Amino acid sequence: MGVINSIEQLEEYRRELAATAKPDLPTVLVCFGTGCQANGSRLVANAFMEIIKEQGLQVDVNIGIKTTGCHGYCENGPLVALRPQDILYLKVKPEDVPEIVEESVKGGRIVERLVYRDKVTDEIVPRYSEIPFYKHQLRIALRHIGTIDPTSIDDYILAGGYAGLAKALRMEPEDIISEVERSGLRGRGGAGFPTGTKWRSCAAVDSDVRYVMCNGDEGDPGAFMDRSIMEGDPHAVIEGMIIGAYAVGSRQGYIYVRDEYPLAIRNLTTAIEAAREKGLLGENILGTGFSFDIKISRGGGAFVCGESSALMRSVEGNVGEPRAKYIRSVERGLYNKPTVLNNVETWANVPEIILKGAEWYASMGTEGSKGTKVFSLVGKVNNTGLVEVPMGISIRELVENIGGGVLGGKKFKAVQTGGPSGGCIPERLADLPIDFDSLTEAGSMMGSGGIIVMDEDTCMVDVAKYFTGFLVEESCGKCTPCRDGLPRIYDLLTEVTEGRGREEHLDMLEELCDLLTWGALCGLGTSAANPVLSTVKYFRDEYEAHIRDKKCPAGVCKALITYSIDPEACTGCRLCAKNCPQNCITGKRKEAHVIDTSKCIKCGVCKDVCAFDAVRIS
Amino acid sequence: MEKISVVIDGRTFEAEKDTCVLEVARRNGIYIPSLCYNSEVTSSGGSCRVCLVEAHQGGRMRLVTSCNYPVRKGLEVKTDTPLVHRIRRGVLELLLARVPDSEVIREMAAAEGVTEVRFRKDEGENERYKCIACALCVNVCAEVVGVHAIAMVERGADKKPATPYNKPSDVCIGCGACAYACPTGAIELKEKDGVRRIWHKDFKMVRCSVCGTPYIPEAQVDWIVSKTGKDRSFFDKCPDHRF
Ligand SMILES: Cc1cc2nc3c(=O)[nH]c(=O)nc-3n(C[C@H](O)[C@H](O)[C@H](O)COP(=O)(O)O)c2cc1C
Ligand code: SF4
Ligand code: SF4
Ligand code: SF4
Ligand code: SF4
Ligand code: FES
Repeated sequence: MGVINSIEQLEEYRRELAATAKPDLPTVLVCFGTGCQANGSRLVANAFMEIIKEQGLQVDVNIGIKTTGCHGYCENGPLVALRPQDILYLKVKPEDVPEIVEESVKGGRIVERLVYRDKVTDEIVPRYSEIPFYKHQLRIALRHIGTIDPTSIDDYILAGGYAGLAKALRMEPEDIISEVERSGLRGRGGAGFPTGTKWRSCAAVDSDVRYVMCNGDEGDPGAFMDRSIMEGDPHAVIEGMIIGAYAVGSRQGYIYVRDEYPLAIRNLTTAIEAAREKGLLGENILGTGFSFDIKISRGGGAFVCGESSALMRSVEGNVGEPRAKYIRSVERGLYNKPTVLNNVETWANVPEIILKGAEWYASMGTEGSKGTKVFSLVGKVNNTGLVEVPMGISIRELVENIGGGVLGGKKFKAVQTGGPSGGCIPERLADLPIDFDSLTEAGSMMGSGGIIVMDEDTCMVDVAKYFTGFLVEESCGKCTPCRDGLPRIYDLLTEVTEGRGREEHLDMLEELCDLLTWGALCGLGTSAANPVLSTVKYFRDEYEAHIRDKKCPAGVCKALITYSIDPEACTGCRLCAKNCPQNCITGKRKEAHVIDTSKCIKCGVCKDVCAFDAVRIS
Repeated sequence: MEKISVVIDGRTFEAEKDTCVLEVARRNGIYIPSLCYNSEVTSSGGSCRVCLVEAHQGGRMRLVTSCNYPVRKGLEVKTDTPLVHRIRRGVLELLLARVPDSEVIREMAAAEGVTEVRFRKDEGENERYKCIACALCVNVCAEVVGVHAIAMVERGADKKPATPYNKPSDVCIGCGACAYACPTGAIELKEKDGVRRIWHKDFKMVRCSVCGTPYIPEAQVDWIVSKTGKDRSFFDKCPDHRF
């Protein structure tokens, strides 16, 4: 069908698609997300296609191959899911394909060596929906990721896509805004501003032109949920934006995507074109008289470009540098016109909220934070990847149940949340519910939704220094506290980690943090103190150990540690001596070895290679 | 324009809506320090942060830069609170650490009681010797002069004004407006034997036909003539001897 001319026609089209689709058709889904592609999913898909073509002649199995977006479990890619068997295979190689076809596709049996194995109980979990990583998730923003072909608008429509828009177009704009307000949806880009309130303020400003924008900058190097949505379900973002535009009275939208996300740009472009062809974008959408279109704007990729005023300047063709937002962008935003800017995940939630209603959405989450949130769970945890969970789940549940606990049975020490300018929350507060307000109260933030799990071997001063270092590099340099204050925080942390810390350094750190928080121009600077403040607050003893005792309790800061070999544990196997790059380990075979600490560069190789755990750090 | 009333340090003033707090304060004799702001340059301000004040509005308090915070109904400003001074001192200590040899910064800091720097001082890098990266020069050149000869380049602590590739700019007219506007006198402008040197470029000066003083770069005359259609002979004499 070409242009869809009315809401009724859209529903009819959906019915037609459903009638021609063969839902019983066995399906092999090969993940084509960036992570899986990097791991060779294309070769795996090709292998499936070949075998199916080959055998298709004699064997009576039909398989529709789809290239899909991301399942979130990227570390284990390439992922292959089988429907209707509901089997998920991990780390599939082209060589595995014939066996999968024989055993599972044709025989309905499970290839055990390729399925998920619980790292603690060693049980195998073949069913996609039973894998702990997925079992505890609730997918709204990620609802279609991995299950539809992001380049096919038909797939999206068949899965219920654009039904939210159809419903919205029958509503009064005012009622849409109320619906979003009542849903309690808050911006997923970090600050958690109530989305409905933002829309209402924008709609209330007297202006002939208004813009809606999507923030797909995703500058946090550890986060990739927005990328996953743009790559895996671009129509969800587009549909959300059309609804938003109709609600606030906008005719033009922009999606700002960083240049490093070429697949996101490609899939969004394809989706926008397909939506135009179907009459879902452009003039007279679905014959309702409402017109709206979307342009993609590509960004240079500095972290600060994701900040709203910098982003708007960048779209206008200027240097992406923040400016004071004393007049809000809902009043004077892009090209000085009233503008609604929302995050990718925020937009992706909108169609579902309209379709299923505010009450449905508000029934999930906590008092102040409704619905779900996508997190990228990384660090020292068994299962890493993208997870979408109801707001209010505790840090511990996230780490233990979904993450499968801390790697290597080490002790759980802290989580760092919110991206580079987030804070660290200690294990003793791990029962804290994850929502906007609790995280902020604890001295961290929701931010990008990045969650980094840290174990006992992590030095919190070193962590603060690491994130401060990132922010020093990303500071745009426009305002004094951030430009000249952050490097000095970094200096002080360097002194502390290198054993030159002095008692007064803690006060100086806190003063500089206070200055940033109150005095910086944009959100980068005002939140940049979080890594230091939160670690000083919860791990002050660690700072003091560095400063007073010149010790790094976690054994990380090189200047403060020495390597030695425990003569009781050493068997004299010589492995460490052979591997030491400094040749500074001596000892006779089968006798305890000794490290010459004057030559040791603290590279840690000896500790890594020793099979008897005889190398000590103190 | 709509007139509204605004309270600053307990006194009520009438002002046009959206005028910046700093202007309203100054007009009424209330001192707030400033560096990167110039009332003639609308794009200036917001960068140095020495003009931060408390803005109380709608039950909420924020520190805002008075040089670009618009006055609106119900706004109450406090310029002389412990918080304002604490943060201003912090900003000035950082500026002093950045440009320890700048007279202007030393004086402004001393006025807040900051005479010592506890942090690492920047030194050596001549180019930004006294430069506080406030961008006023760039804003003046673009907005007031109408030439875009310089821009802020690099980021973080390395941010500075520069001509493209640090080469003599094709478009600079040598007017020196940037140097006059610079709050710390960081831009070098030298004149010798009827030649002005600024931003790595030499400009031949026009001499006044009456007093013989070189007073304006030829390039600036060319530029004004081309922009305004003014008669070239107008520039034969310096302003002192023009009429
Ligand atoms: C330094 C900085 C970087 C930011 N980066 C992003 C980003 O990459 N993506 C994003 O959606 N929001 C980012 N934000 C938040 C945006 O300024 C803005 O609040 C958000 O896009 C609004 O959308 P929301 O209300 O849907 O969250 C950033 C903010 C700051 C201060
Ligand atoms: S806080 Fe940092 S990133 Fe933001 S404007 Fe100031 S210098 Fe630039
Ligand atoms: S830490 Fe590295 S340099 Fe030091 S003894 Fe061990 S292997 Fe050698
Ligand atoms: S001297 Fe050159 S750089 Fe300076 S304001 Fe004039 S034109 Fe601009
Ligand atoms: S040269 Fe002067 S006006 Fe230009 S940025 Fe530096 S301090 Fe500001
Ligand atoms: S004078 Fe206001 S920020 Fe510089």
